[in-house]
Amino acid sequence: MANKLTFESVNCGDVLPEVKEHIDQETIWKHAVGSLDYNPVHTNPEWCKTAQVFGLPVPVQHGNQTMSLMCKVITNWAYPVGGRMKRMEVKLIKPVPVGSTCTYGAAVTEKHPVGKGGGGNFVTLDVWAKNQDGELVGTGIAQVYLP
Amino acid sequence: MGYLEEMAKYHKTQKHKEFGSDFLKAKEVKDYEFWDKIEIGKETEVPIKFEVKAEDMMAYAEGVPDDNPIFYDEAYAKKCGHDGLVAHPLFGTQVAFFVLRKGHGSWIRTPGSRNPGQIIEWYDPIRVGDVLTMKQRGYDKWIKRGKYYMRYLNELYDQNGKLKSRSYGTLILPKTKEDVLRFVRGEHALEA
Repeated sequence: MANKLTFESVNCGDVLPEVKEHIDQETIWKHAVGSLDYNPVHTNPEWCKTAQVFGLPVPVQHGNQTMSLMCKVITNWAYPVGGRMKRMEVKLIKPVPVGSTCTYGAAVTEKHPVGKGGGGNFVTLDVWAKNQDGELVGTGIAQVYLP
Repeated sequence: MGYLEEMAKYHKTQKHKEFGSDFLKAKEVKDYEFWDKIEIGKETEVPIKFEVKAEDMMAYAEGVPDDNPIFYDEAYAKKCGHDGLVAHPLFGTQVAFFVLRKGHGSWIRTPGSRNPGQIIEWYDPIRVGDVLTMKQRGYDKWIKRGKYYMRYLNELYDQNGKLKSRSYGTLILPKTKEDVLRFVRGEHALEA
């Protein structure tokens, strides 16, 4: 069994286990219900054929679902040891049309041993999402408190 | 079966049942605030509040999808060092859509809107039983390469006035009410 994750045990360059998710219309509908974001660009395939908000005739994954799945890489890693998110900044680069399979990943870039006076020790990570062609669809930076 | 009926199959919570899922209702769209009318700097406290139930938090995690037990099992979450059931970091999305239905802040619902990115800062965990209030502000708007951008700032506070999170969201929007109504009719109304 691996050693328990702590702020001390983490090193810059550590790569987190990836998350891979295929999205179909059902997946998107479930996210719409979970988030209450029923925007037709995600939920209404007939409307998308003509409205083509992203220049595509099909629904696309919610941007916040992309962000949520980027977070999943971090919550899988840090939350079982009591870690929690401090800050996240994400740029959504390309739409993720229905039928895509994306891989979400993250790597530690900085350690901030600021102690209680700084709100608690935290690490900074690069986070990303890539589609099945290896193209970046989202990229960002996250800060995560670790015990 | 239509797309709204398809999604209704996944309704589980009381809020799912209460919330209107048709974002193309022209009557509602007319109450939105459009890019050309957005008043930057105006801050509003959104009148609708959000009482957090465990089912709401679980529904968001299910929709990610994320089956991590910290989002569903309070005893497990406590064993992991949290002080109760954990809200998914993006749970504030559900809160925002529940409370922002018309006027200032309704931009996130706009047919034809695009989301190029966000910044979220978390200050205190959201807990079951919290009653959340949103303060909302149009933060900036600009035109770039023929597209109409805006940035808003949403802050969530609990029933004790404690800041829970701060989100800076950016949107690319149709410029005018007429552009939005074209989208409602299923016509394309944005620059490429």
